[in-house]
Amino acid sequence: MSKNSTIKDGKRDSNHLNILIIDDNEQITKMLTTFLELKNHKCTVANDGKQGLVLIQENKHDVVLLDLAMPEFDGYAIIKALESKDMLKNHKIIVFTASTVTQDELDQLVSRGVNSYILKPIDIDLLLSKIIESAIS
Amino acid sequence: MIPIKHILFLVSGVSSFIIFYMGLVNYLTSVESSTGIILLIFATAVAAGTLLSTVYISKSITNPIEKLAQNMTEFSKTNKITNKKSIITNIKEIHELNENFESMGQKVEKTLTVQKEYVVKLKEIDRKKAEFSSMVSHELKTPLVPILGYVQMLQKQELMGELNKKQLDAVDEIYASALKLQRLVGDILTTQKLDLGKLEFNQENIDITELLNSIIKDFSPIISQKNIHIVKESTKNGIIFSDKDRINQVFSNLIKNAIDFVESEKGQITIGAKNDKESVKFFVKDNGIGISETNQKEIFKTFYQIDTSTSRKREGSGLGLAICKGIIDGLGGKIWVESKENIGTAFYFEIPKQTIKINGKK
Repeated sequence: MSKNSTIKDGKRDSNHLNILIIDDNEQITKMLTTFLELKNHKCTVANDGKQGLVLIQENKHDVVLLDLAMPEFDGYAIIKALESKDMLKNHKIIVFTASTVTQDELDQLVSRGVNSYILKPIDIDLLLSKIIESAIS
Repeated sequence: MIPIKHILFLVSGVSSFIIFYMGLVNYLTSVESSTGIILLIFATAVAAGTLLSTVYISKSITNPIEKLAQNMTEFSKTNKITNKKSIITNIKEIHELNENFESMGQKVEKTLTVQKEYVVKLKEIDRKKAEFSSMVSHELKTPLVPILGYVQMLQKQELMGELNKKQLDAVDEIYASALKLQRLVGDILTTQKLDLGKLEFNQENIDITELLNSIIKDFSPIISQKNIHIVKESTKNGIIFSDKDRINQVFSNLIKNAIDFVESEKGQITIGAKNDKESVKFFVKDNGIGISETNQKEIFKTFYQIDTSTSRKREGSGLGLAICKGIIDGLGGKIWVESKENIGTAFYFEIPKQTIKINGKK
């Protein structure tokens, strides 16, 4: 679906993905970038929601990691904005959150079209497997 | 209870009758009929006077008292001096009684108003406190994300290069401590939610035997590491419609405690369930150091840590059992402990098979 994804033998190469990370916490985005780049993926970072939405709509990424709790324009706002353009299902979004989001709310997000979710603090192996799972789904 | 009116009428009736009767007897037996008639008239007059004065006394004493009693009833219902029945009396004692009641009532009214204001203020403080600790837990979780992330990367030596034994040990220690901190923050959040009645419960059909087996399986690595045993007491199988994750959480907290209580090599932990008609009684028993009677009463309180002077050092948050109690309360059940020092401890929790309405603390 994204134009830039590396295609090998007709399949997206899940070992080299373009990943967009949207989180207001720079330490977290830096850690995630370090990890994912060590795993040979390419990362783009947005440290606020507005910029994140612009980057999502550029459609250059295989997977989007989206923090729900951000000041002003948060993860929910991004999801809503995509929904209103009927674009949510075009993107592979994994939301992550440390906040007190309930299981019901997370399930609801998935039923609306979010691919997956992961709770902070993050188990990096679990994160990676969810990213790959979402990318090839 | 006899109304004072009735007593007055009874006493005055009886005494009027006696006076009248004596007058009548005197009249019938007296030789001189004129004296007899005079005495009879006199006696009748006295009897009638007694009755009349009783009516008057009854009106002027018991009526205002009755009204006062009605006002008091009204006051106890509404906590407000309404004085629906106005009390007009020229009897000093009743007047004073009424005045004292009114001034007392006004004081109570005032105190209650002040108290209500306090309750509102306290609720506000409580809410702010809950909000604050929820925020603190969230803020504490955020820096844990990079800490745990980098530590996990360091542990994967293929990612960040090889570490020597000492370095790897240090990284493992950091990882263990960070995980502990994460659990503590999680416990604080759960406690907060329980306090606010915001903890959510799900319901699903749970196979009791399967549940116990999976718990044993989850704990076997840590159990064998300590060289102790965990066994399942055979139980009649059944299905319970409740929250599996929460029941697992309770078991997990109780088993972690039991592991701390028992000695390695000799330690034995037994889990099981007694399947009754309406409810299931789960238990976690150990043959560890036990809990003293004083401690037994306190252990379900938040941040309660058993005095470590005699027992080994505990590493828990002091929230585990409070969380267990909160969860079991929320599932409509109860939890309790039976223990003898140096013999062992048994925690029981009984939950209904079918919880109609699950909720947290109001």
